[in-house]
Amino acid sequence: MPRAKWKGTIGFGLVNVPVELIPAARDLDYHFRELHEKDSAPVRRHRFCSKENKEVSWDEIGRGIEVDGKMVVLTDADLESVQPERNQTIEIESFTDIDEIDPIYFDQPYFLAPANRSAGTLRAYRLLVTAMAESEQVALGRFVMHTKEYLAAVREREGALALSTMRFPDEVRSVDMLPEIDAEPDPAAIDDAVAVIDELSTEWEPAKYEDHYRLRLRKVIDSRRKGRTVTAPEPREEDLSPAPDLMAALRKTLESSGKKRSSSKRKRSPASKKPAGAKQAAKKSTKKTAG
Amino acid sequence: MAPRSIWNGTITFGLVKVPIKLYSATESRTIRFRQVHIKDGAPLEHRRICTAEDVEVEYSEIVKGYEVNEDEYVVLTPDEVKAAAGDRGKVVEIEEFVDAAEIDPIYFEKTYFAGFRDDPEPYALLERALERSGKAGIGRFTFHNREYLVAVRSRLGVIAVHTLRFEDEIVRGGDLNISKPKKPLSKKEVSMAGSLIEGLRDPFRPENHHDEHREQVRELIDARARGEKPKKPRKKDRENVPDLTSALEASIEAQQGGS
Repeated sequence: MPRAKWKGTIGFGLVNVPVELIPAARDLDYHFRELHEKDSAPVRRHRFCSKENKEVSWDEIGRGIEVDGKMVVLTDADLESVQPERNQTIEIESFTDIDEIDPIYFDQPYFLAPANRSAGTLRAYRLLVTAMAESEQVALGRFVMHTKEYLAAVREREGALALSTMRFPDEVRSVDMLPEIDAEPDPAAIDDAVAVIDELSTEWEPAKYEDHYRLRLRKVIDSRRKGRTVTAPEPREEDLSPAPDLMAALRKTLESSGKKRSSSKRKRSPASKKPAGAKQAAKKSTKKTAG
Repeated sequence: MAPRSIWNGTITFGLVKVPIKLYSATESRTIRFRQVHIKDGAPLEHRRICTAEDVEVEYSEIVKGYEVNEDEYVVLTPDEVKAAAGDRGKVVEIEEFVDAAEIDPIYFEKTYFAGFRDDPEPYALLERALERSGKAGIGRFTFHNREYLVAVRSRLGVIAVHTLRFEDEIVRGGDLNISKPKKPLSKKEVSMAGSLIEGLRDPFRPENHHDEHREQVRELIDARARGEKPKKPRKKDRENVPDLTSALEASIEAQQGGS
């Protein structure tokens, strides 16, 4: 289990639960080290003062930011002076439906685990888990970690309290920045597209998706270890030019996905059976989506 | 000012091809500091020192190695690392569709917006169909030599592309081994907690949540730039209330008194 990143309490009314913050996402990436090519020895990064050309130890390092061409230097103690009074507390401010929070706001996932095994802590923790599971509500609150304040959403997940740090609204860009869509698709085409989506729909089963990149990188590492040469493949040749007739492309997709599905266990929807012409297929899917 | 796209490609599902450009949908506003030497405010330089020779090494003399055993490295060239990217071209390949609401927030990593490229027709069609069906297309795409799992969905009239975490990266609640309390919760305690939650219900309005701390750090920087001294840090954390029921009762009383 990953190690705790932060310890504090979560405050709910006058109920306080001592908790620790545990990352809910593991880093499974292969990390590389920088080596000196000549002798394959790892290199280490040392910090040098650019003015004095001397190595600097950790306690001599501050945080600098340029204001009007002048460097302002702050220490951790300076930054602590502007921390909220209750900086070791996740203060719940409100509860909301999870569906109301667009996934774009979610940043890093964590769990909150009880910080100790005392009877009081475990009961208060369990109370929060139970009450939040029953109400299906997400708590919004704030806390400070490493001199930065975070907005957080706390909810029940798998019998524990899950916390996600959230992006602040000014960190989410407006969709107005995108080129304006000056197209009004044909309603029949939308029906067909929805029929294609339905035909290609399945349950969300995250376990079936493997990280191909990680698997391939492992293979590359293993091949190199055995002294084999590895070369990057050429990108696949694909015709990515948009189909001249969108409707025809949709119908062809519907037909071929229907064929693929018929060999699997899944039942085909009647809409995909008809190899019919334009009008029929459009009508069929209209009926289907209206129902 | 038109934002810069970071990727040009095509979303495909079946035989339908939707030419798009990707844009970052989020940008961090955290105040960025540089590491400086406190004494003279000079920026720090990171220098690479060879651990065997104790001499500075130029970047051109650096290779990347993966440690397979202690002190045993397999060196990979940039081209070999690139081989792990696979042979996918500039395509977001949708394999299937799922109910967008089924994907737990824990899987969402980073969001991009897709804007149409060249022809708005196929883009508008996919966006409308995603919006109406409430589905998300699950697919993969390769960006900067790395393959990502993505969910393609409609958001506020445009197509959003979310990178997703893989299942084996997700820590499960059961992995935490959280002990159950010896004395079970009473119905009264659970219902009191429920009414506390009810009393604090409020629709999510993102615009209500500012990063006040960031503003205070900004003020601190400005004060220091004017040569003012900082204040002493204040610390006042919450005390733990030992008795759960009386804490709940007091909370409900406070909530009712406040409203």
